[in-house]
Amino acid sequence: MQKLLSNILVLILAAITSTSCVNLKHVGEFSESSIEGIEKFEALSYNFERNCTDECLQKGIEKLKIHGQTCVCTADKKADSITTLIYSSTRDYFYGLTDISKNQLTNYKTEELTQTLATGDYGSLSLKETDVKAYSSISTIILRAFTDGYRRKKIKEYVTRANEPLQTLLHFLDLNLSGNLIGKMEVQKNSIKSFYFDLISNTELSIYERTKFTEDYFRRISELTAKQEELETYSKVIKTIAEGHTILYNSISKLTEDEIKGQLAIQGTQLKNLSRSLNNKNQ
Amino acid sequence: MGKLTAEQVKRLADDFAHMANALGDYRYENFENLTNEENLRLKELHAQTLSHTTELYTQSAILVLDDAATSLAQINTITLETKKLYKKLVGVQKVLDRATSVLTLATAIITLDAKGITNSVKKLLAPDS
Repeated sequence: MQKLLSNILVLILAAITSTSCVNLKHVGEFSESSIEGIEKFEALSYNFERNCTDECLQKGIEKLKIHGQTCVCTADKKADSITTLIYSSTRDYFYGLTDISKNQLTNYKTEELTQTLATGDYGSLSLKETDVKAYSSISTIILRAFTDGYRRKKIKEYVTRANEPLQTLLHFLDLNLSGNLIGKMEVQKNSIKSFYFDLISNTELSIYERTKFTEDYFRRISELTAKQEELETYSKVIKTIAEGHTILYNSISKLTEDEIKGQLAIQGTQLKNLSRSLNNKNQ
Repeated sequence: MGKLTAEQVKRLADDFAHMANALGDYRYENFENLTNEENLRLKELHAQTLSHTTELYTQSAILVLDDAATSLAQINTITLETKKLYKKLVGVQKVLDRATSVLTLATAIITLDAKGITNSVKKLLAPDS
């Protein structure tokens, strides 16, 4: 009977540990790569307000006016605040997901408790150190099994609930940066071209002056193009994060399968490469 | 007519940008055939169209807040829940640490170890115990 009970206990433990001793490392790693990528937002060298100021200064240049040229950029500041709000909400979600995916989170330490129990003087009650250690290690496994199972269940729930709003937010973050901001920069390029066109075409000016204007024009266009490329690379970061989260969402019931881990690892590598590329652009 | 969405305003801005480009290209390609007055008038029209276009892009970026409000609220709720779960899971370790401290105190009391009692009480009262 004693042996039967012992066998049942072993079977229960094996069942619990096999189903709930999850390795959420790949979820955590994808989340961390997403944070690394999305946080490049903070290093972007251009925003709506800067565009507004540049356009305003361009008007001053056209009018040859350096005094009393006031730039009103209230709407563009608001556009930046909204974009930043969407960015920070998205980033915070990944911080939350990273925290709860850490394997060491439920790696509870009971050594101190075991030591206290084993060496404590409880009068007539004497505890064998080996027994205490054995019970303690079983308790730790069960504790981890239950908390891991609970954790996995909650991660599934969060990823499922978050996917739709997250995709929407990433879409809007991309719309504002690679859609609206790059659109404004195209307008800016057109304004610059219109300004330089008349100067470069003015035959009353010397060839030297017209050549200098041409050089200035190409330099300014090239500076803006570099900034647009930076935003386009960031847009790829956003899209890769969105794809990665969709993979996670679609395979949420198979969190331990190698295929899913492999797919998420690919997204993670892409994000790291894109982040590296953005680092190079900012140098 | 209902309120325009951020996407719709962005598409309008794109269309305006195409119109502005066409206007600019016309001026550049016909510059030699235009009178000074015609050139200035076209340049002015081009500048105004560009100015409206850039305003539309900004408006689209602002409208995003209305369109993303529900998603923002949902994701913030989930983030809050993940933080609570994290605290709860970290809390288990704190309970274990506290249990250890209580047992150490009990042992110290049983053995009448005054120094041990003091140390245990101090550990129990420590904010991170």
